[in-house]
Amino acid sequence: MAKTETDLLDDAQLEAFFEAGREDVPELSDSFMAALLQDADLAQPQLAALAPPRVKRSLWQDIIAQIGGWPALAGMATATVAGVWIGFAAPDQLETLSGGVLLVGDYASVDTIYDVQDFAPNYFGTDLLIEEEG
Amino acid sequence: MALDAYTEATDEALLVLYGNGDPSAAQILTRRLAPRVLGYASRLLGGDRAEAEDVTQEAMLRLWKQAPKWRTGEAKISTWLYTVATNLCTDRLRKRRSVDIDAIEEPADDTPSAVDGMIQADRATALQDALNTLPERQRMAVALRHLEGASNPEIADILEISVEAVESLTARGKRALATALAGRRKELGYGED
Repeated sequence: MAKTETDLLDDAQLEAFFEAGREDVPELSDSFMAALLQDADLAQPQLAALAPPRVKRSLWQDIIAQIGGWPALAGMATATVAGVWIGFAAPDQLETLSGGVLLVGDYASVDTIYDVQDFAPNYFGTDLLIEEEG
Repeated sequence: MALDAYTEATDEALLVLYGNGDPSAAQILTRRLAPRVLGYASRLLGGDRAEAEDVTQEAMLRLWKQAPKWRTGEAKISTWLYTVATNLCTDRLRKRRSVDIDAIEEPADDTPSAVDGMIQADRATALQDALNTLPERQRMAVALRHLEGASNPEIADILEISVEAVESLTARGKRALATALAGRRKELGYGED
């Protein structure tokens, strides 16, 4: 017999079937669940494999790392060069800044000998030293 | 408890945890997703539970393998799984057709005679029988839309068609279901009026 519009379910009736279908969620059997979890376990990336590989370093690399790496080394080199430069060039400005304490006399000469008062003239004046000697 | 804390986590967060080597995440994800995939595959495969389990196992295995490469925020995991399950079921249905066309289960016309107030399980069975009569793509679209709760754009992604094509498939599928189930209206607890 040919079907007509009245042979169709309406939306509400059809929805009742869908609802029944949605509630009909299959339960996983224990054995199936175990098989799924075993697959997951075997396929799982291992923590050891995920850890970053340990890089082997040479002695020098270890020493540099202890100091603080290349930036620290660069700072030390700069300080060394500055020290050498000050020693050789003996700039006037440095003498001015130190109030004539550091670079008094003929500092170009290698024979320069410093006395105590050269370093702290305010505290160890010549008169006082002479008095003590006397 | 770690498991309790994980139950609130999203699918994507759990997959990332799994990818990072967390042993608990797989359990939660499996309990959450596998029954849905199994139900969907079972509907597409005409209620064949054993085949549906094979499809589910393969789909879940592919998910685990995908975990380290998963790009967060790109796709919903459920949508991705439904896509994989759809493709696996399509392959199996194609093989069935080529191997033995008689092996396809016919819609059950001889289901046990029902009485008024038929229980939900019988309605679910009747729905499955009616779904089996639908063309493959209509069955997929209707199952995804009305049973799995997927949106039309999600179904479009899964079936790799336009949203308009999804609307057309689901409309035709629903109409075919309404026709197929109408003949059993009385036995399934609905009046003929």
